[in-house]
Amino acid sequence: MKAKKCMALLLAASLTASLFSACGKTDNGSTSANSGSDSTSAESAGSDKENTNDGGDPAFQKFPEVVEVHIGQGVSTTDSLPEGLSVENNQYTDYLLENFNIKVVVDWTAASGNDYNQKVALCIASNTLPDAMTVSREYMIKAANAGQLYDITDLFQEMQSDQVKEVMDSTGGQAIEESSVNGRQYAIPAVEVETAGVQVINIRQDWLEEYGLEAPKTLEDVENIAKVFAEKKPAGEDTVPIAGPDKSTNSYTNFLQTGTTTCGFDAVFSANDAYPGIFLKDEDGTITYGTNSDETRKTLELLADWYDKGYIDPEMGTRDSSIELINSGKVGMFFGAWWMIGYGIGDAYRNEPDANWQSYPILTDDSKWNVKLGSATTGYCVINKNVSEDVAKAIIIMANVLLRDESKFDVSEQPLSYWPVRTLMAPADECEYTYHELIKVLDGTASVEDYQGVSTAYKLLSNDVEVVKDTIPGYETGKQLSISDFSTENFGNFQRMYSLMIGDRPYATTPVEKEVRSCIFNQTETMEKKWANLWSMENEMVMKIITGKSDISAYDEFVENWMNEGGSDILEEVAQAQ
Amino acid sequence: MKTAVMKTRPFAKKRTSRTFFHYNLMVGIGLLWLIFFNIVPMFGIIIAFEDYNPIQGLWGSEFVGLEHFEYLFSMSDSRRVIVNTLVIAVSKLILNIIVPLAFALLLNEVRQLRFKKFVQTIVYLPHFLSWVILASVLLEIFGYRGVFNALLSVFGVEGKIWFSEESCFRQLVIFSDVWKEFGFNAVIYLAALTGISPDLYEAAAIDGCGRLKAVWHITLPGIASTIVVMAILGLGNVLNAGFDQIFNLYSPLVYSTGDILDTWVYRMGLLNVQFSLATAAGLFKSAISFLLIVISYVVAYKAADYRIF
Amino acid sequence: MIQGKTLGNRIFRIFNTILMLILTLSCLYPLWYTFCLSISDKAAANSGMVTLYPIGFSLASYQEIMGDLQFFRSFLISAERTVLGTLVTILILAIFAYPLSRPSSEYRPKNVLMWLVVFCMLFNGGTIPWYITMVNYGLIDSMAGLILCGGVPVFNLILLINFYRGLPRELLEAAQIDGAGVWTILFRVVIPCSVPILATLVLFTSVGYWNEYFQGLVLSSNESHYPLQTYIKQMVVNIQTTNLSMDQIEKMDKLSNKSLNAAKVFIAMIPMLVVYPFLQKYFITGIMLGAVKE
Repeated sequence: MKAKKCMALLLAASLTASLFSACGKTDNGSTSANSGSDSTSAESAGSDKENTNDGGDPAFQKFPEVVEVHIGQGVSTTDSLPEGLSVENNQYTDYLLENFNIKVVVDWTAASGNDYNQKVALCIASNTLPDAMTVSREYMIKAANAGQLYDITDLFQEMQSDQVKEVMDSTGGQAIEESSVNGRQYAIPAVEVETAGVQVINIRQDWLEEYGLEAPKTLEDVENIAKVFAEKKPAGEDTVPIAGPDKSTNSYTNFLQTGTTTCGFDAVFSANDAYPGIFLKDEDGTITYGTNSDETRKTLELLADWYDKGYIDPEMGTRDSSIELINSGKVGMFFGAWWMIGYGIGDAYRNEPDANWQSYPILTDDSKWNVKLGSATTGYCVINKNVSEDVAKAIIIMANVLLRDESKFDVSEQPLSYWPVRTLMAPADECEYTYHELIKVLDGTASVEDYQGVSTAYKLLSNDVEVVKDTIPGYETGKQLSISDFSTENFGNFQRMYSLMIGDRPYATTPVEKEVRSCIFNQTETMEKKWANLWSMENEMVMKIITGKSDISAYDEFVENWMNEGGSDILEEVAQAQ
Repeated sequence: MKTAVMKTRPFAKKRTSRTFFHYNLMVGIGLLWLIFFNIVPMFGIIIAFEDYNPIQGLWGSEFVGLEHFEYLFSMSDSRRVIVNTLVIAVSKLILNIIVPLAFALLLNEVRQLRFKKFVQTIVYLPHFLSWVILASVLLEIFGYRGVFNALLSVFGVEGKIWFSEESCFRQLVIFSDVWKEFGFNAVIYLAALTGISPDLYEAAAIDGCGRLKAVWHITLPGIASTIVVMAILGLGNVLNAGFDQIFNLYSPLVYSTGDILDTWVYRMGLLNVQFSLATAAGLFKSAISFLLIVISYVVAYKAADYRIF
Repeated sequence: MIQGKTLGNRIFRIFNTILMLILTLSCLYPLWYTFCLSISDKAAANSGMVTLYPIGFSLASYQEIMGDLQFFRSFLISAERTVLGTLVTILILAIFAYPLSRPSSEYRPKNVLMWLVVFCMLFNGGTIPWYITMVNYGLIDSMAGLILCGGVPVFNLILLINFYRGLPRELLEAAQIDGAGVWTILFRVVIPCSVPILATLVLFTSVGYWNEYFQGLVLSSNESHYPLQTYIKQMVVNIQTTNLSMDQIEKMDKLSNKSLNAAKVFIAMIPMLVVYPFLQKYFITGIMLGAVKE
């Protein structure tokens, strides 16, 4: 009972909050925006004007009559709803119905993962798509090519909220491009933070200090440190200077992947100006495949040398989990994305509370930071071609509302995964922005109150600023944070703050010389058939060379085979797609 | 024949037409089921010969001939999948004859009838459990914290997630299938064994024939035809390595050794949305199986005088 | 000589008995293990301490299942599907097989029909065309769909036809002379004489329906229509701890409850365990009669 009352209060509070923010926005003089929707909301305006957004902003308009949106929804088997609630009837669907007259009808559900994908594939095959569902890239392209999807190119521009636009713009147009087929946009993309694709080196600072070493800047420094770790064995006989990929991870990412690899070597390649796994376009428009370059070859030789000297985990590629190895305190260095150091290796701090892990960028020999970036989007909300315009609008509105109001819901009992056709959106620079704002709060140049009630795309910021001071009691302006400055009392907060303040510090503070993205993020026709094959061939080659099972001639052989077994066709197709 | 029937019965003609009508009625219900649920979906095979577009449908999609088949055979993936399928299926085929046979022979030596009956009843058990259920139990037992690892740790062997090991997956699949089916498969051999006259054994015993010799000279020849028939019939299943089993047990980690035609077709069609390619691969499998079944039935008929239809 | 032989015999007997015991136990163990897990304490089950006997006896899992509507719904769907499906299938097969078992002189379309049936046994269109057809029939989320969607079990049909064909001719002729119609002959003579094979087919068919999960998944729009095996299939999530992403790490704490899962699996095993020992004597003869004719 009590819990329910609290919920109601919370909801009411969030409603008023959203009301204010919406009013604030229209006051800022957006006369052009409301001309289109005025006529539609005119009838409803009289009756329930007081509890809706005033209809001025099409991004948050309330439909005069209930609009039914039929969806297919993935449900997580680990998240469940309280008794009496369902995918069709929960705080999120209530909220959408009450405030926007959007009634969510769930045509089908399936467990997220393969069961869900299978359902999507069958929908496409039998041409029975629901009005909306979230899918991964190959399904989106398949359905778009078959002509089953609603072209939202113009509608999206008209309907997206300012925050959504902010998120889209933060990717520099990449998000829209990735959700388009043949120049037309067919999906609302889910956008991932950019730093998820940036790999940094994580290192045991306490070990460095023990041997009087400096933090690494270049590959040479890494090698020297690894040499010391290998000789002194700070964690005993089985010390591993540098962790490597385990049997389910790769040595580097390819152009289809969003994040970076965990314990892979992307950063090592980038520091040598090599970008394997992605397609590159040089100044005069020639397309090359990053793996087929002298720099990649050189880096592979370097890694093989490191492995040979015992710097890299001798069991790389066969271990069940490199993360477990790190958690056990045997590892001196590993590569990973910003979140690895906090979220990824929580047990490392539980086992060894003063393991002072620190993240750094790896620079080229002339001190430049080259960064290989992944695709910007992780999922796509597609709309059935045959829906009415209102339904299409409603689906875009749902995405708008999710981004604006996400933080207002109490997700402890009703997880956010039950948001109908959820498209996760984070501004590309969310982590870096948060980093700088948190520094301001810690320095005292901004106060916690400054962030409350402000509606931005940075939806977790207001919560972050609230907990930052308690989580980092030892902060001193100008001093590099270390593990001893953090409080692990609330472990979840600790993990987030450690990831943000240490793990994302490189990307937030180090200027990037060269951002390298693949010039294509989806598969061409030949790739659809042959990529999986080529990629597994490539992985095998890399793994064998690094671990010394083959010498470098296997690389030359691979390049030749790659070209012959479809690679040359693929390069041509990629060039055509530009 | 027919005239003979008519001659013997005066009302034969009237009777035949009425019987014919009722026979049609009897066939009718089953035939409807057959047509609507077996034959209609079969027309989908044409997907394998076209570039299937769901909007244009089965009949409107562009016809591309054998393109998908050509590609299918040019893929190095398909080689791996076919090798896996053959290795797993053939091993199962052989072991599913030898192990139940050995079991039946040994069980046949058990003299306490009640114990024999008890053993027989229990070993059928796994046959009646689905792979969904057995897989969940097996993954548990052979999991990282499972019983098997606990057993190994006694001998100081390092634990693994056994069904995620490339090098063990096939063996485990074959072994678990043989284990699941040996009891049930032994039914036929046990029944055949009861057909051998006890007099033969007595005569052999009088001749001073040992147990092994008796098995070799009396038992095996006695059930040889059954063994031959089972082996030949198994031929038709050479491309059926067991979708249900592998689908419930495998993971991407073991694709290299555990991926079989059926699971590959499933992933191609339903997860990679390559509808036409998957259908083509399925058709390829059907065609080969068809050929093998025809061959095996002809052989069965010729070699063991066994006819199924 | 004789001495050594009996000694060898005795040793062989002992070893043989032990081997039989081991095999029997290996077949019982998964059942026992699941049962132990299900009545063990949740913490003990999750940490992998349960191996040979229950640890920290607790009926919490069964209590929880008592309150699990979805589990019961799935159980009932499976039960209904198995009972109805088996009845319908066996009835249709029993009737369908009779005309096809007559010589072609008596029922001329027989040969054509047999070819059709055999063809259906060997070819199918694959999952996708099959699914499209089912959607067009409107069989999503329906009991009829769950029962009929697999099509005629052709192999069983052929077994039955073979059996009918093997029935003594005099029996049928005697009935014909008595003036019995074809339906009377079928129900009064043929079917009563075919109890072993029909019992075998009842067992095969019901096991098939009870154990089927894939069609249940594909033909259901949501969990509330899942048969039990489908429910169990998606319940036992195979979490791969090696492929960690941020999202998954947050979910690590919610790792599935092994004791509860085991209880569900155990309950799903029970119906088959109860049924098959009773049909045992039939299927032994049934298999012999249907499969291997000397």
